[in-house]
Amino acid sequence: MISLQNVTKTYKNGVTALESVSIEIEKGEFVFVVGPSGSGKSTTLRLLLREEEPSAGEVFVAGKNVVRLSSLGGIPKLRRNIGCVFQDFKLLQDKTVFENVSFALEVIGKPKHVIDARVPEILDYVGLGEKLNNYPDELSGGEQQRVSIARACVNRPLVLLADEPTGNLDPNTSVDIMRLLDKVNKIGTTVVMATHDQAIVDAMRKRVIELDRGKVVRDQSRGVYS
Amino acid sequence: MRRIEFYFRETAAGIRRNGIMAFAAMSTAFIALFLFGLALIIAREINLVIEAVTGNVQVAVYLSDPVRPETVTRLQTELQQLPAVASVEYENKDEACARAKKLFESNPAITENVPCEVYPASFRVTLADTSQYGQITARLACEPDPTTHDITCSEPGVLKVLDFRDILDRLSAITRVLRNGVLFIAVIMLVSATVLVANTLRMGMFARRKEIGIMRLVGATNWRIRVPFLIEGLVEALVGAALAIITLFLVKVFVVDQLRGRIVWLPLIRNGDVLAITPWILIAAAGVAIVAGTIGIRRFLDV
Repeated sequence: MISLQNVTKTYKNGVTALESVSIEIEKGEFVFVVGPSGSGKSTTLRLLLREEEPSAGEVFVAGKNVVRLSSLGGIPKLRRNIGCVFQDFKLLQDKTVFENVSFALEVIGKPKHVIDARVPEILDYVGLGEKLNNYPDELSGGEQQRVSIARACVNRPLVLLADEPTGNLDPNTSVDIMRLLDKVNKIGTTVVMATHDQAIVDAMRKRVIELDRGKVVRDQSRGVYS
Repeated sequence: MRRIEFYFRETAAGIRRNGIMAFAAMSTAFIALFLFGLALIIAREINLVIEAVTGNVQVAVYLSDPVRPETVTRLQTELQQLPAVASVEYENKDEACARAKKLFESNPAITENVPCEVYPASFRVTLADTSQYGQITARLACEPDPTTHDITCSEPGVLKVLDFRDILDRLSAITRVLRNGVLFIAVIMLVSATVLVANTLRMGMFARRKEIGIMRLVGATNWRIRVPFLIEGLVEALVGAALAIITLFLVKVFVVDQLRGRIVWLPLIRNGDVLAITPWILIAAAGVAIVAGTIGIRRFLDV
């Protein structure tokens, strides 16, 4: 599903974020990417989204070489197959829960009947079936992250990328969010989660890829944080 | 259908959110397009004056009554053969009368009291080389009368020659100065309108950078993101154009129409003349929108 082959990423300012990194992730896997700040976690996710291009090496997502995609059609198509969840939720404050999720379908041109069917379904799936018409500031952090997960999953992506999804949440809420991500993974979505959260990584016992200064220093199935 | 609805809802939301900037952009576009239209109307008005005064010819050779057909044929051929002459058109007495009636249509006192026989037949000459005007007077043996300054001729059948070159030169100079002056201001205003519209779009994109970020993230195409902003720019420019066209009609009604009939010989623009320049205003507005769109949305779009 995801394949990085000898990927090096050097930014314009000369900082090398990744150095000759090779990672293979199969369809349906759940992978933690861990490491200290600046180790290259976020760069890895940005490469998969084709927000950055690798300086050297190849990046494949769902069989496609992302470097070759055009910004006219290829990159948007790639991103429709990738859901994204962030530490700061990135919800639109002037839209309701329903509208935040439907927005993701609307802007890729999905017809109204699809939106009306899928949005309540996915919000029910993440446990917010009762809060369709609330605004983000009326929700707790955990609930906001659920909305963001619903938005990431409403178009049924092949891959879910999560960048510190529990970074702003208390431990109990974090556990709930992890249960939800696990549930999303169980229906076949490949989940890649960058995190600092040791307790969660240790509790989940999933595959762990550890980066340090742009290199893979550990790749362990059913691993722990360190 | 749904896509169009999406675009227009986003556009309306954008203009609302960006109210003051959108207003500034629209009013600048309005003033710019109004001046642009005014320049075109001034040029049109002066062309009307030129046509009325000279009939769009440079030299008129009036024939004395009674006009004989063989004289007409002979003189026309001879004038035509002069190297300085580009074309010679014959206007008979009826045609001269009709043209005068049209010229003075707002002044019935003249058209009713002057009988058609008074208007002389003439050759209306366009010169290929205006400096060689002397060839005509020489051929027809004409000389300026020292007292009346009329140019009378000894060639049989020719009454006199009227030289419009000077007045044509002056009128075209006035046209050029007025039209170019107003056009110059209009161009400056059009540039500021373009920059203002572009800036409005850019501020709109900045205000909505979070939404745009999410749109890119979930795989919206560039065009899906851009089009609402392009429509917003187009709407602002077209609102300016509509206001400019309305104001030009108001100028015609409250300024031009007040003058109508006061100056007998002066032909004035009509509604049709204002109507005829509206396509140019709309084209200029579209130009503003396209340029503003291109420079305004260039940022924020690198995927």
